[in-house]
Amino acid sequence: MSHVVIDLKASLKTFWRDKSTIFWTLAFPTVLILLFGAIFSQSSIRYDLYVQNQDLNDGKATYWSSSLITVLNSTNAFNIHMVDASANGTDYALTNRLSSLIIIPSGFNTSANMALYNQGATTANITFVYDQSTSSAPIVQSIVMSIVDRLNFELSRGIEYLTVEDLAIAPKRFGFIDFFIPGVIGMTAMTTSIFTSVSISARFKQNGIFHKLATTPLRRYEWILSRTIYNILISYLGMAVMMLMGIAVFGMKMTLDAVSLLMVAMASLMFTGLGMIIARFVKDPDGADAAANVITFPMMFLSGTFFQLSQMPQFLQTIAQVLPLTYVNEGLRAAMIFGQTQQAIINTALIAALGIASIVVGSLITKWEED
Amino acid sequence: MSSSYAIEVKGLTKRYGELVAVNGISFAVNRGEIFAFLGPNGAGKTTTVEILECLRKPTSGKAYVLGNDIERNQSEIKKRTGVLPQDFYTYERLTVKETIQYYAGMFDAHPDVDELIRLVDLEDKKNVLFRNLSGGLKQRLGIAVALVNDPEMIFLDEPTSGLDPKARHGVWHLIDGLHKKGKTVFLTTHYMEEAEILADRVGIIHNGTIVALDSPASLISEHGTRNLLILKKTSPKAVPSIEKLGIKAKYDGTTGDVTVHLNHTVGVSEILHTLSSTEVPFGELQLKRSSLEDVFLNLTGVSLEEEEGSI
Repeated sequence: MSHVVIDLKASLKTFWRDKSTIFWTLAFPTVLILLFGAIFSQSSIRYDLYVQNQDLNDGKATYWSSSLITVLNSTNAFNIHMVDASANGTDYALTNRLSSLIIIPSGFNTSANMALYNQGATTANITFVYDQSTSSAPIVQSIVMSIVDRLNFELSRGIEYLTVEDLAIAPKRFGFIDFFIPGVIGMTAMTTSIFTSVSISARFKQNGIFHKLATTPLRRYEWILSRTIYNILISYLGMAVMMLMGIAVFGMKMTLDAVSLLMVAMASLMFTGLGMIIARFVKDPDGADAAANVITFPMMFLSGTFFQLSQMPQFLQTIAQVLPLTYVNEGLRAAMIFGQTQQAIINTALIAALGIASIVVGSLITKWEED
Repeated sequence: MSSSYAIEVKGLTKRYGELVAVNGISFAVNRGEIFAFLGPNGAGKTTTVEILECLRKPTSGKAYVLGNDIERNQSEIKKRTGVLPQDFYTYERLTVKETIQYYAGMFDAHPDVDELIRLVDLEDKKNVLFRNLSGGLKQRLGIAVALVNDPEMIFLDEPTSGLDPKARHGVWHLIDGLHKKGKTVFLTTHYMEEAEILADRVGIIHNGTIVALDSPASLISEHGTRNLLILKKTSPKAVPSIEKLGIKAKYDGTTGDVTVHLNHTVGVSEILHTLSSTEVPFGELQLKRSSLEDVFLNLTGVSLEEEEGSI
């Protein structure tokens, strides 16, 4: 075990003295968070808005429900998607990770007529179900509110006939940044572990350091254990820096529990093993960096790090389902944002299993000696 | 297990597919001696030394290091030997002192680190990062690292390759110091001068086969050419005059020099007398002693420099 500690100390010293590694490990994700945080607070694109119209008469939308949908559509602010009236709206939104859903309840037409008749003594209500951890939800909400205000004004010079009831589906009040940061933590664990493993293995091989180490009593498994612990520690460091920055700059609110810590450790384990497997098939450090990029870049963009998977085309969503980073990101969000501990544990167990498999394969095919 | 030899190799062969890198070599290295493996790049030196360091597996044959079978007692061999690989490299951002401490830790050894730094004359560089050291200083650090476990024998694979003459002499001084401390040194080199100056015995390896093995003096005596007399800027007429004495001479039209292969029957004064009597002019005289280069040339038919150039 002392060999592991000695090698780990040497690796950490090397990390601390390598400014470019510090930049890519800590500063780069921090800059990403700052940029994305700023961009998504000022977006002006069309937003997906799901509408469930329960106010039907013989299967057809009633006058007022139909009118409201027409008005929402005419703003050109939304891509309207209709949801089956028989579904449980809130469950549907949670299951499908919808950002925004308007539920027009049964009897809405009657309530609207009543409100008009009694000059606002009663009101007609719609429900706005939203995931406050997404960047678009607050924007959609504000547009819906302004449409409703406008309708009220047009109909009755400001008397409130129509009201919107908020129903947040995330358990606490989180913002986009709270959604985003777990993704960047997952991404950093991946890039740190893969790049470190691939790059170090290729460089040690090319420079003959493996040969030198092989002439000492240091065992190969001790070295691999040291590298794995190193990657876990660096991923934790990245996690701490990103969370502190999120709290300081964006007032982030998220839970840091044992499951999320375990997930980061297992992700580092898995990506360390994956990096060792890649390293076995590259000939030199340049090839190693290219190979690491080929693996990490698609995963970075296709695994829901920056955007929700539901916002991607269906075929990309299908690809995402086979990428391990998807399960890391979803597991981290389940633990840190949604409070879905059970889901987080399932994802962590899956990543741990993949991690053990990849580190075993990586260890077996990594050679210090020549044939 | 004890053995009178530091290294004992019997019929060692290493094949890579069709290529035979080492072809059934046998030799032994005595304890406390400096043994040099001399040959051009690609001759099989590094393959052999890496088999002895337990970094490669032989295709066939046996080898014992300090009495330990290289295929069965690897951990014992690693504990008792030190290794300087070709172009020693390590963590770039560890200092000289930290590098020595790192490798000492790997051997669970507690050497006097400052003493090791003094030994390789790196006292003023002890806090310099490895990446900032010159090639010669890196090799010196590599030698210090090879000594952290106070090994009984040290493998030095091309210890001065790529170094400038000053750095090379510094490393030679260090190796000589190890010899004086009673360490066995197994050295591979393609520099004849290095083998001639340092080694007690030299094994000449060519195309994976040991073609000669003895002390440098014995090798030169047995396989070297005779000493050479070079007559600078003379005339081609000198050649027939000298050959009348029964010895070989050769004129070089480019330099205008005549090279005479001396033997025991004809002395230099006799040659000079002949030239004077035939009124052949010549400039200065140069006497060249036979060297391991000549031994290599005689044994393999090619010069070491030609072999280097062809690789």
